[in-house]
Amino acid sequence: MVQFLVKRIFQTLVALWGVITLVFIILHFAGDPTLLMLPESATAEDVARLRSQLGFDRPLIVQYLSYMGQLLRFDLGTSYIQNLPVSEIIASRIPYTLTLAFAALLVAIGIGVPVGIIVGLNHGKMIEKILMPIVLIGQSMPTFWSGILLIMLFSIRWGVLPSSGADGAGAVILPAVSLGALSMATFARILRTSIIEEMDKPYVRAARAKGISFGKVFFRHVFRNSSIPLITIAAIELATLLAGAVIVETVFAWPGLGQLAVQAINSRDFSVVQAVVLLGSFVYIILNLIADLLYSIVDPRIKIQEKTS
Amino acid sequence: MNFKRLLKVLLPLIALLILAGCQKKSVESTTAPVEVTKDVLVIDLVSEPTTLDPHLQWNPSSFYVYRNIFDNLLSRNTDGDIIPKVAESWDYVSETVVDLKIRDDIKFQDGTPLTVGDVVYSVHRILDPELKSPQAGQFNAISNVEAIDDSTVRLTTAKPYPVLLAQLVKLSIVPEAYVEKVGYEEFNKNPVGSGPYKFVSWEKGIKVVVEANENYWGGTPPFKTVEFLAVPEKSTRLANLKTGKSDLITSLDEDLATEVENDSKIKVLSVPTERIAYFRINTLYGPTADIKVRQAIAYGIDKKMIVEGLKGGYSKVANVMVGQTSFGYDPSFEGYPFDPEKAKALVLESGIGSTEIELLTAPSVFDQRVVAAIQQMLSDIGLKVKIVGMDMSTFLQHMQSDDSKDMTSFGRWSGGVQDADGIMYAMLHSGSQWANIKSEKLDNALDGARTSLDSDVRMEFYSEAHQVVQDEIPVIPLYEVGSIYGAAKELQWKPMADESLFIMDMKWGNS
Repeated sequence: MVQFLVKRIFQTLVALWGVITLVFIILHFAGDPTLLMLPESATAEDVARLRSQLGFDRPLIVQYLSYMGQLLRFDLGTSYIQNLPVSEIIASRIPYTLTLAFAALLVAIGIGVPVGIIVGLNHGKMIEKILMPIVLIGQSMPTFWSGILLIMLFSIRWGVLPSSGADGAGAVILPAVSLGALSMATFARILRTSIIEEMDKPYVRAARAKGISFGKVFFRHVFRNSSIPLITIAAIELATLLAGAVIVETVFAWPGLGQLAVQAINSRDFSVVQAVVLLGSFVYIILNLIADLLYSIVDPRIKIQEKTS
Repeated sequence: MNFKRLLKVLLPLIALLILAGCQKKSVESTTAPVEVTKDVLVIDLVSEPTTLDPHLQWNPSSFYVYRNIFDNLLSRNTDGDIIPKVAESWDYVSETVVDLKIRDDIKFQDGTPLTVGDVVYSVHRILDPELKSPQAGQFNAISNVEAIDDSTVRLTTAKPYPVLLAQLVKLSIVPEAYVEKVGYEEFNKNPVGSGPYKFVSWEKGIKVVVEANENYWGGTPPFKTVEFLAVPEKSTRLANLKTGKSDLITSLDEDLATEVENDSKIKVLSVPTERIAYFRINTLYGPTADIKVRQAIAYGIDKKMIVEGLKGGYSKVANVMVGQTSFGYDPSFEGYPFDPEKAKALVLESGIGSTEIELLTAPSVFDQRVVAAIQQMLSDIGLKVKIVGMDMSTFLQHMQSDDSKDMTSFGRWSGGVQDADGIMYAMLHSGSQWANIKSEKLDNALDGARTSLDSDVRMEFYSEAHQVVQDEIPVIPLYEVGSIYGAAKELQWKPMADESLFIMDMKWGNS
């Protein structure tokens, strides 16, 4: 177990280093922010002066090493566009991103899991043919469309929920539904497949033959066994929700990391972009690690040692 | 009942439901009783301010906010004339020396009086390399600034500089004592100025809140509190306006403006700005170095159709590279008439054949419908045009001169000073990084206009410059870009051509 952890942590560090380097190179080859920051009437001297003041005239390798040096000291740097420490900028967005991600996950699981159970138990029946297309529609609707549609109905037409922003608990509902709709079909489908598979196993028949009620068999055994793949899915979906809410955040003016990332990329605010990417990949890797560990707890058949050897 | 039959019943039902949801309410709600006063005004911006330190970033979302917290040295009225603000009068001592008389009744929001020292400090600060201000280039013509007595500041420029006053319209005065006491980073987070609104809070990514400065020297601010929200998606801004969450929204496009006009509770406010949309043609490289090709393009673009068909009439056809509210505008130029037959003949004459012309643009910033329309118009006269989209940063890199990558491009240009110098010198003088033409005649005219303080002389130079542009066609002015706002019916406000947004100019109630 310890060996496994050490190995995974090492892998994590290498992966993070790779991500940072890649992002650094791509960003810097796409040009620096000086032209965007200057007024249109700027002269070539203005550009050269600001570029040198911001340090973009240094060789790329020098900029890279100085950035890596900063990171090793756990310093994310300063945004030269917003003139604030990057850590402060990022920290102000994290609570919103977490709120939205978990609310969306709640929507996805709250709808996806019951649907998965119902269709899994009614395989081939009418109800499956009605429910599955509905969740699939939820997944297929692009969020920029479903988001606007939700605003039109709930804010403009019925006036029950705020159209944007982050004031009050009500504000998270529409973005969470819009974002959660994307994942609920995944939960439903995975659960359905694994329930169908479990229900066919001999132990179910054996238990029923012993006279144990269907409810007991299902919730004690079938559901528990079927939900193992859900852990991985939940981890991956959560990581995606944390990193990938860009469009929903833009539509609902939700002040999360996704929106910040887009703004930072457009304005070439390098240090902010890098910090967001760093955080995103870190969360992704950590959640995967947690999923792996949870597996061995939920299902003793899976031995971590075996996986690593 | 089998599944297919059920579907046959269900599908039309669902479709009906969706349609019903999208339909407008057939009955308009009755108008609410007229509010006379309003405590909180909510304004939707496209993004949050980048900085609130007025000497740092220069973009609309930032200056919309900080110009209400700070006073600028000078200002403009809605006609575009330069008017007093912190400086109550000015006097040219010589061609290179201006004396500005500073008002003595202005107090910063922390109670300290605004003095000549603060004005001198503000000039020094924005030019200080340590600050790394992107705005420094707008003020570096100033070679010396000093207080000559308790109420007069003397500015000296190395050469006669006719747009000095126009630049000072953008210079915010900051309190020396406060800035030096708290430091630059804290000043950016908790700005203190002398303007009509005091900074209250800044929830990152959500909103900036300001409240009325009751002791404002220029009168009582019209709203107790003003909130600036960051709402990047334009449909969401419109939803905010429709639901009454917001009272004023910025940056609407023409389609959404039509939707606003169809709603009786809200209205469109718009103004043609000093920003000019242009079609730029490289005279130095590639197939467009041939004047016949450039003439063909000029005859082949139907500006009127673009403005009326695509821009909904909110923009205005431009025939020179300067807006009508700016100095240097010459109404005698009428541009090239739309004449596709003549254009076709010129294309054939030029022998360009099927050589591809690249049309550069930044889709995230500029109106792509116009780009597509121009491509179609040029293809109608026999030119093969390929649209090359890129992000704004890359676009600007390609626009820099000595870069043969831009054959033609579509974009918008603001000089920021409401003076032809801002756009024309930067875009067309061979000494500028953006120029795509080398013409001695044009350089002389632009230099002449830049170094004389005599308006008549300057105007003559600009007319000469407009003539060269018309003959050589390094750029085709297309239209003065309309700025479109959506507002609650009760908000009384006249938008400005320089894209500033002063709350003091606003009023609540039926006019």
